[in-house]
Amino acid sequence: MATTKATRAVGGPDHHPGIDWEAAERSPEFRELIRKKRSFVVPATVFFLAWYFGFVILAGYAPDFMGREFLADGLTVGYVLALSQFAMTWILGAWYLRKADREFDPLAERAAQVALRRRDDGGAS
Amino acid sequence: MTPIAAVNGTALAVFGVIVAVTLVISWFASKRVNTATDFWAAGRGLTGPQNGFAIAGDYMSAASFLGIAGLIYLFGFDGFMYSVGFLVAFLTVLFLLAERMRNAGKYTIADVLSYRLKQEPARAAAALGTLTVVAFYLIAQMVGAGVLIEGLVEIDFSLAVLLTGAFMVSYIILGGMLATSWVQIIKAFLLMTAAVVMTIWVLAKVSWNPIDLFTEARSESAEGEAYLKPGLFLSSPLDTVSLGLGLVLGTAGLPHILMRFFTVPNAKAARSSVMWAMALIGAFYVMTTALGFGARAILGQAGEEAAGATGNGALPLLADNLGGEFFQAIIAGVAFATILAVVAGLVISASGAVAHDVWSNIVRRGQDSESEEVWVAKIAAVVIGAVAIGIAILGGEGLNVSFMVGLAFAVAASANFPALLLALTWRRFNTTGAITGVLVGVISSVALVIISPTVWPGPDSEGGLISGYDLANPGIISIPLGFVGCWLGTVLSRERVEEVSFDELYVRSETGLGAEAGTGLTLTGRSDGSHDADERELVETR
Repeated sequence: MATTKATRAVGGPDHHPGIDWEAAERSPEFRELIRKKRSFVVPATVFFLAWYFGFVILAGYAPDFMGREFLADGLTVGYVLALSQFAMTWILGAWYLRKADREFDPLAERAAQVALRRRDDGGAS
Repeated sequence: MTPIAAVNGTALAVFGVIVAVTLVISWFASKRVNTATDFWAAGRGLTGPQNGFAIAGDYMSAASFLGIAGLIYLFGFDGFMYSVGFLVAFLTVLFLLAERMRNAGKYTIADVLSYRLKQEPARAAAALGTLTVVAFYLIAQMVGAGVLIEGLVEIDFSLAVLLTGAFMVSYIILGGMLATSWVQIIKAFLLMTAAVVMTIWVLAKVSWNPIDLFTEARSESAEGEAYLKPGLFLSSPLDTVSLGLGLVLGTAGLPHILMRFFTVPNAKAARSSVMWAMALIGAFYVMTTALGFGARAILGQAGEEAAGATGNGALPLLADNLGGEFFQAIIAGVAFATILAVVAGLVISASGAVAHDVWSNIVRRGQDSESEEVWVAKIAAVVIGAVAIGIAILGGEGLNVSFMVGLAFAVAASANFPALLLALTWRRFNTTGAITGVLVGVISSVALVIISPTVWPGPDSEGGLISGYDLANPGIISIPLGFVGCWLGTVLSRERVEEVSFDELYVRSETGLGAEAGTGLTLTGRSDGSHDADERELVETR
């Protein structure tokens, strides 16, 4: 504990020479974390950007379509699509949090433990 | 006389209460803030929900509260486009930066950018990006505050700016990030309460049918059907897309927002704070429907003159219409608290760039003491505050607030966001790439705004300075340029030296291994030992 706490606050981030970061980065545990995380974050990012820019492009280039009535007089397609952006943000956010708590955090914890164990066993380098 | 002038006494009393409460909090905080981590990062002791409220308080400026309601009142649907962009932007923050910033960073975004690059040049580049964004954003807020206070309580513009600046600097000198965070939390609570009360009130007036809001607003607008369609405010389609791009990527480059992720104990709290912020900010922006369209339905065309060219006066007018002078004074007080919380967050992030990045790590090369760093930070906060007050007073009410905020988002998206994202994810990225990326991002976004037809030759002229170029929002050009700048600088330089391996930053940012610990600081005291889960890991395995 003392090693990390005592380090001077200024002068850049604290580095941990005891840990073999290269091995940690290559460890199967870390690779699995990255693979699992990417398989959610990349499609989710592509989806939200597509949904958002679909909306923005329609607003820019198809104002008449956006002004069309949807289900009731006064409610426009544009407003309903705008509300769908709010729903999308909340749903994707909550979904990510759930995945992170249940899946990514335990994997990150395991990858960190493996790196620390390697250091403590003197197995580094 | 507009009805606004009459609220003088009550509004002053409400403003007084807000100032008193926030100063008492700062005084409490001043007794607890000792270390640099306390000062910059509130000891990393905030919980996820607390930081979520603080992010909401940091993010939603007067431009959101008065500005968007005003834009919707004047231009209908197009105003709501801003609401959507401001919220969706938090998915970029959540997926790409929030947890990584917490794990890799310390006090400023320069800590993350310079982690594996050459300390001094990388820090200088990040400090430039931070200070440019804060300068535009801060001056916009100060001018907005002056106009608001002058209009609502009839004190002189210069005095109003001076007082706002004095309070914002006091919070920071007294209580650093701890005080700033609690000012922001209280403000978020006040803002949400005010929005809920006004929304319910407006809905009661349209017999609880939200759809009647739209039909009544449409019939009260001279534009008729067009009021509910895009195109009244954002008339160029490409500009609309460019604005959307700037909003959705700009938030992830705002230094005062990113700095908030250093105030929580770990990555889990960082992401939960984004979720809380998204819930609050989203709920608020949904309610801008009732505030903006409601203002149109209730005030009609009669309010247009009093609401002003930007529509900023629409919300106070609506408040007066709903609940009379007393309620209008409350809403004015909430708007005042809103501005105070945002400017405090901006100044602490700028003082971080000056004291932590430039002074401690570049000038003193990390040889100064922690107390010196905090002292320099306080001096920097005073100087930055004084400069902002000066420019706001000199520029006066003529400075266009929404244009300056738009410029801040454009620089954040074009300079800070590409460099940070690539530093965290691209192995080959190097110091030259970071410097060229930030410079290209800053210069291109500022230059494109200057040659945009709204600035030069001016809003009333036909066509732009360069024929064919008519974008008011530079994002669609300057953001790709920022990324290209990062890439070109990286591949063209022969630089190979890495002071720390990419592997270290990568593993640390993704797992939290080795991340900065908290000091257990809270507003009411200090708990023993560390909060930090990662610290515990290090102990247990020994």
